[in-house]
Formats: sequence, C-alpha cells, structure tokens
Amino acid sequence: MAQLTYDQIDQTILDSLNPPKKGYWGIVAVLLLGVLIGAASWVYQIFIGIGVGGQNNPVAWGTYLINFVFWVGIAHSGTLISAILHLFRAGWRNPIARAAETMTVFAVCIAGLFPFIHLGRVWLVHYMLPIPTQRLLWPNFMSPLMFDVIAISTYLIVSSLFWYTGLLPDLAVVRDRSTGTRHKIFKFLSLGWTGAHEQWRHYSRSYLFFAALATPLVISVHSVVSWDFALGITPGWHTTIFAPYFVAGAIHSGLAMVMILMIPLRKIFNYQKIITQNVLENVAKTIVFTGLIVGFAYATEYFIAWYSQNIVEMESFRWRATGEYRWGFFIMVLFNTMFPMLFIFKKIRRTIPLLFGICLLVNIGMWFERFVIIVGGVAHGFSPHAWGLYAPTLVEYGIMLGSFCLFFFLFILFVKHLPSISMTEMKETIEKGALDHGA
Amino acid sequence: MKEINTQESFLQKTLRFWIVIAFVLIGFATFIYGVFGPHPERAWQAYLINFLLWSGMAQGAVLFSTVMHLTKARWSGPLAGLSESFSAFFPLSFVFFLLLFLGKTHLFPWLNEDLAGKEIWLNIPFLFWRDFFGLLILYGIGFAYLNQALQLKLDPNQPQVGIRKLICKRWKQNGNNIERIKNRMTIWGGLYILAFALVLSLIGYDLIMSMDPHWVSTLFGAYNFVKAFYIGLGALIILASVFYLRYGEASGLTSSHFHDIGKLFFAFSLLWADFFYVQLVVIWYGNISEEAHYVIERTMLADWNSLAWTVLVLCFVLPFIVLLNKKVKTKPIFMIPICAVVIIGIWLEHLLLLGPALSHNSDSIPLGVSDGLIFLGFFGVMTIAVTYFLRRLPELVRYMEKKAA
Amino acid sequence: MGLFTNEDQVVCTVGALKKSVYQFHRVNSPFLSHKIMAALKLRKSAVGWFTLAGGVIGFFSGFFLAIYTSVQWNLIVGGKPIVAIIPFIIVGFEATILFAVFGNVIGLLTQARIPSYKWLKNYDPRCSGKHFGVLASCKPGQVDELKDFFQKQGGEIREFDDKRQAKPQSHQG
Repeated sequence: MAQLTYDQIDQTILDSLNPPKKGYWGIVAVLLLGVLIGAASWVYQIFIGIGVGGQNNPVAWGTYLINFVFWVGIAHSGTLISAILHLFRAGWRNPIARAAETMTVFAVCIAGLFPFIHLGRVWLVHYMLPIPTQRLLWPNFMSPLMFDVIAISTYLIVSSLFWYTGLLPDLAVVRDRSTGTRHKIFKFLSLGWTGAHEQWRHYSRSYLFFAALATPLVISVHSVVSWDFALGITPGWHTTIFAPYFVAGAIHSGLAMVMILMIPLRKIFNYQKIITQNVLENVAKTIVFTGLIVGFAYATEYFIAWYSQNIVEMESFRWRATGEYRWGFFIMVLFNTMFPMLFIFKKIRRTIPLLFGICLLVNIGMWFERFVIIVGGVAHGFSPHAWGLYAPTLVEYGIMLGSFCLFFFLFILFVKHLPSISMTEMKETIEKGALDHGA
Repeated sequence: MKEINTQESFLQKTLRFWIVIAFVLIGFATFIYGVFGPHPERAWQAYLINFLLWSGMAQGAVLFSTVMHLTKARWSGPLAGLSESFSAFFPLSFVFFLLLFLGKTHLFPWLNEDLAGKEIWLNIPFLFWRDFFGLLILYGIGFAYLNQALQLKLDPNQPQVGIRKLICKRWKQNGNNIERIKNRMTIWGGLYILAFALVLSLIGYDLIMSMDPHWVSTLFGAYNFVKAFYIGLGALIILASVFYLRYGEASGLTSSHFHDIGKLFFAFSLLWADFFYVQLVVIWYGNISEEAHYVIERTMLADWNSLAWTVLVLCFVLPFIVLLNKKVKTKPIFMIPICAVVIIGIWLEHLLLLGPALSHNSDSIPLGVSDGLIFLGFFGVMTIAVTYFLRRLPELVRYMEKKAA
Repeated sequence: MGLFTNEDQVVCTVGALKKSVYQFHRVNSPFLSHKIMAALKLRKSAVGWFTLAGGVIGFFSGFFLAIYTSVQWNLIVGGKPIVAIIPFIIVGFEATILFAVFGNVIGLLTQARIPSYKWLKNYDPRCSGKHFGVLASCKPGQVDELKDFFQKQGGEIREFDDKRQAKPQSHQG
C-alpha cells in the first residue's frame, strides 16, 4: 500500500468541500421534509396535549424515552472513539475521530430535545433551572430527572467544546486553501490558528485534558440515564447492573452508527485510502466485544431473576420472553448479540455490504432493547390488575421520523461544509507510522 | 544487554527466601490453630478471603497479558511476560479451592436454612462441581494460552529441562511459524477473557454473594472480576517495580512502561469505585428492605461502617489523589507501597462483604492478628510460586519478541 | 521564513539558528511534531493548572448547589434525608467535569493567546499543508546571509518585508 502524503490527505478531504452535485440537495430536501414532519407533529402535540402520544397508564414512558436513551447512546461512542482511544494511543481512531465527534454533538442535541418533547407543557421547562424564583421553589436535586438535566447539559457543552477544539487546526487548513467568502468565514472560525509551536504546546496539553475529562463523563452520563430507570423500584428496572450495561450498550449502538455513517461517506468522497479496511475491521472487532458485554448482561439479569426467587422479578422476565412483546425481545437478543458475533469471522468483517447490514441490524436491535426495557418494565409491574400494553401513535412516529431525519440532515450538511476527517491527525499518524517502519 | 542471572535471584537460599518460607509456615500454623480452636469459622473466613483475593490477583494478572495481545497493544513490552508468571499460582489456587470445602459447615451460612426454592442452586455438590469445572476450564484455557505465548519467548539455546523442554518441543513442531502461534494466542486469549468474565462472576455469586442467600445484586459478578483485574494490575506493578529496582535497565522496563501501567491502574481504581458506587446508589435509593439490609449493615451500622470508609479511602481516595501526579507513576519505589495499600484495601473489602454474613454474632469487626498472619501465609505462597516460575523461565523478564525469520 | 517539508531538517535548522547571530522567532507546523517540540525544549504548559482549579471549583459548586436547594425545602421527601451525600455525588461529579472543562478552555485561550489575528502576520499559508516554517529575523544588512543559511539547510525562502525575515523552504524528497 502506497504511503499517503500530506498533499494527498489535504486534497482528498478538501475535495469533499467542493460544491455538491444536484443529488445532494435532493437528499437534503427529503431529510428536511422529514424534519418538518417531526416539527409539525410536535407543534400539534403542544397545542392538543401530551395525550396525543400513546403513553398512558401503566406505560407512562414510551417512544420519547426510548429515543432519548437511543440518541444519548449513539452520542457516547463518538466520545469513546475520539477521547478514550486517544488516551490509549490507538492510531486507528484517527480517520474516524472527527466524524464520530460530530455524530456525538448532533446526537446529544437531538437526545436533549426528547425530555423537552416529553414535557408536554414545554413553556414550563424553566422549572428545571436552578434559579431563584418568586415561587421560592428549587428543582429537587434528589431526583434522577434532575441528574439527567445536569448530566446531559454537561455532556452537550463538553462535547461541543471538545469538537470545536479538535476542529481548530483543520479550520486553519481550509482557511489557507480557500478564497473569498469562505476564506473570511474560516478565518473567523479558526481564531487565528497558525500552528506556531507556542500554540501547539498549549493545545496538545489541553486536548489531553479534554480526552481525560471526557472519558469519565461518557461513563457517568449514560450511567445517569440508566438511573432514570434503576433508581425506581419497578421490576426489570431496579437492578444494579444497569449503569455499565447501558454504557456498553451505548457504545455498541454508537459504533454501529459510526459504521453506517462511515461506509457511504468513504465511498462517496473516495476516502478509501484514509479510512482503510483495517479501520473498519477494528471497529467491527470492538462491536464483537461490546456485543458480548450486552449478552452477558442479558444472561445475568435472567440468572439473578431466577436466583432471587422473587415472584415479581421472575414474572417480569418470564413475560419479557413469552408475553405480548416477545418479538421485540427476540429482535433484541438476535440483533444485538448473535449477529455481531459474525464479525469474529474475518471474511465477514472484510465484506463491506455485510458490515453495513449487520451494523444496521445492531442499531435496530438496540432501539428494541430500550423498548423491551422501558415499555416491558412498566407494562408488567407489581400489580397484575394494572398490567397493560402500549402502542405508539402517529404523532410519536412523526416525531421519531423527525429525529432520525434531523440527525442525518445535520450530518449531511456537516460533511459538505466542514472537513469530515481530521487532516491534522492523519498527518500525525503518517509521521508516527513512518517512525514505526523506519528506525 | 546484561544477562540477568535469575538463578541467583533472591529466592535462592538467602535470608529473603527463609523469611518467605517462614511466612508460609506461620500462616499455615495460625490457620490450623484457628481451625482447631473455639472459633473455627474465623479461620475459615480468613482462608476464604485470602483464597478469593490471591486467586483473583493471579487470574487478573494473566488477563493483562491476554488483553494486551488481543488489542495488539505495543506499549506493554516485558510487562506482559511478567504478568504471565502469575499463572504459577493457578494450580495452587485450585488445590486451595478443593481444601476450602473441608470447612463447608463453617463457611456456608445457608447450609441448614430453608432456602425456599434456591436449593437447586445452593447445595454443596452442585456448587462444588460447577466451581470446580469453572476453575478447571479457566486455568486450562490460561495454560493453553501460555503454551502458545511462551513459544514466542523462550530461548531454545538454554539447557532444556521440564516445562522448557515441553515448550521448545512445541516450538519446533510448529516449525517456527510465528503467525500461526499468534493466531492461536488470539483464540485462546479471547477464550480466556470470556472464561474470566464468566467464571469470576460465578465465583462472586457462589462464594461471596450467596453467603447472604436472600440478597441479590446483578452487578455483583462483574464487580468481582473488575476487582480481580484491579488487584492483578496492582500485583503486576509491584512485581515489575521489584524487578526494576533490582536489575535496572537490564529488566527491559522503562519509565514509560511504568507510566502507562500506572495510568491503567489509576483508571481501574476509578472503575472499581464506579462499580462500588453503582451498586450503592441503586440499593440506597430504592430502599427495598430485601436489598437494603445488606448495605445498611455494612455501610451504616456501627463498627462495620468504619471498615467501609477505610476500604473506600484505601482503594479509591488515596490512589486517586496520589496517582494524579505523573512523576509518582514513573517511580517504582513509590508504586510498591501504593499498590500494596490497594491490595490490603481489597482484602479488607472482602472482609467487609463476607464478615457480616459469616460472623453474625460478633460484636466487633472480626479482624485480628491471626487474620494478618494467614494473609502473610498466602502472600508467601504467591511469592514462592511467582519467583519459582521466573527462575525457571527467566526470559520472561528480558522479553524480546521473536522476529519472523 | 524558511519552509521545510521534512521534520529532521527543521530540527537541524532550529539548532543551528539558536547558535547563530540571527534571532529565532517560531516554528509553524501543520501538525504536532514531537521531534520538533523536543528540540525546542519548551516548558510544560500551564493549562493543567487552569483545569485543576476549574475542577475544584466545580466540585464544591455542585455539592453546594444540591445541598443548598435541598435545605430550602426542609421536609423529608421520598424517605430520603434532606442532605443526602450519596445522590449528590452525581451532581458534584458532573459539575466537577463541567468546570474543569471550562478551566481547560479558559487556559487554552489565555495561554495560547487565541483568538487573535496577530498570529497571521508573517505567516505562510503553506504551513498548514505540508510545510514547516521556521521564522527568523536579522539585522538589515544580513538578509542575504540569512537566506543563504536557510538554503544551506535545505529550505525555500519566503521574505516578509517588515521584519526582513527569511524562511527556508525545503522541497519534498
């Protein structure tokens, strides 16, 4: 394999910023339509009331919570790739780090919308802010929902700052290679970055601290989200394994989403030399690992439910596998733990369409895992007379469609206007690679 | 590179050798004395705690080598070789496991209780045999992994006796095919990691959690194997530090090795604290009586709560504050006491988990001189096992990977 | 300014420049080069202290916020004590990370002195591509000597008028 040169890197990535073909704007228009459908559904809900959704007694938390957890989960593996793998000095992260971080920022934004959507009376959201008011009431920081507010806001702010800091040297590259309006915009955005040694000195230290701080943040934020469920006493929810289980599941779904984004990106922008087969393989291998953790968690929950001999726990888990939503349960187990095991085989790992397909299934499976946990938990709780079922309504489907379209809409805008691979880090990788093979 | 003559290592009839032997004998004697005394359950409790602690340490240390291989990490160098020496404790741990059941009447509080349906799981024969096969499989896979890994490290020119002869024969049989050996290492290493997670969870449920048979925590198994890896890393750092202090440059270890493994140790200190907290917050918040009594007894009631705080400080607060500093991590002379403190902290943590269940009637924390002596006895056994292994296979210390021909 | 495409040449140049009569100003590189940074023998950055300060402030602020707001409603809710450290650890932890990151950013901005367009003076845009730029200045009469110096090291020259600096540029091999 011919060694990449700095010029090649710059050129390949800057080419992606050229004016797009017509097809691009077509896709943007379709996605925008989806976003508008979502927005319209939400506006409808604000006027009519939260009852237009399918949530009721006993299932008070439906797709809004499922999507919330889903998007927060997607966000986590972006930080894993850019921060945690940076600390481990895993060079294979460099081609995908930028896109992964961006995925994080967008996913957190979308996730943050859902508690807002689920609020119903959105004009009362200021109740959640810890500011002195004439009501003399403060938010209750004992509540897991307030933990969520703090954790998600922190995550949003930190990811955005981390993302922007990482982008700085690349913004300078675009500035130096462009003219006219684009040059002016990027001159402003790059904050006068010139790669002077004084700047690098502080930057590298700052980036290291960012990575070191983002790592515990990843683990804590999704643990906090899992505690929305685990801190209650609902059977199937109240279990100590939730925090690491949700974190592993988040990384699982996030890595699969990274692949779904990277594989077409690679093809469209001719990034094959930069995002090599090896990079995709390494992500696939990590998916095997997270899939095993998730499988371990499923098995443990069942074992302990039986071991506890608690009739409520046992019934809750029996119903999960054999009750009205058993199809969701089987999708969950099959797509999250069985199919990713196929990545153990090298042949499958190196076949791109299979990679894409299995990752898509993993994402679907992870969505259903949240469905099984959230809906399955409350639908079949302590009191048999309160057992019930849940089905999402059109409004909920509309909002869900809007959220997925918003994510891809933002991402597609991103890839055409900002460098989707970090040129600076790629150059560093080449330099290090040269060192490894040389001396 | 200067030859390390581990034949003259500190385990050869020097004063240190006799001190270690003395530890073992004193530990053994204290244990026997305790078993035949008025409170045999105290002695068996100490035995169980130490069996779990030292076995976990050995299993966790070997895990380090497998993980380094599977992630194709290049920073570990000689550390992976050193960690493999802990496998010498595996057969001893297995023997300790078998002997553990001699004290079954004193160890398992649920033996004469009405278990309301759990008897299928919690009965001595089933428990014994499943843990027996679990450990057998774990250790078997560990040795299979080592069988491959050692082929890459041993120098065929050294005089061939015992294990060395076996490994070198295998190496010849494999026709010096490094790629094939590495593939096999990946397979066995992967299986070891899987077995580690499953078997250590099982042991956690069977030998610690079930002591309070009506209490459950789904994370308990995972908590157990995270603990094992944590102390395995600590033990590895101590071993590496001792070698570095003795042999200096010739050990192949550099300050960047220590820095990296120090960082990993720091990360696991955080992970241990996280897993501890995760269980605590869920049980505390839910406040369900079936679960909460376990936590209340250990963290809030008099006497045990001071032990709980001690454990938290020793295993998390102290390592956190000390290891934030980069320089400390690179100085082996400081890492030895820090890691030792953590290992003692985890030893106390085992006491915290098991003590209230095994010693229901005691007025105060059942911790005394005899427990300390038994601890030293096990420490002696571990030291002998590891140094024996390193004496037989000194190439582990100066690790030079065989390059393809 | 002298523009090089090879790290090693830059390291040599910097070493030679420091021993010469010319004034060394800075090196512009497209990515962080450990070799060059090591050769420059720089002090460790102070950004870490900002981060630590932020973290400590955040730790206490988080707990303060949770405890203060809890104490205002002085009734037992949900069977939990009014000031309960166990759940408040979460608030404290998140606030610690948040303020540590703020400290980090403030440290980076103040120490690296960005945003500022001053850095763009005497800067060659090729330095973000594949070239490393070494900026040096000299007395008015020595310009040609400086140019020779850089060219000997293997670099291309780029002159900046106000400071009469010559940047060696090297061609990629």
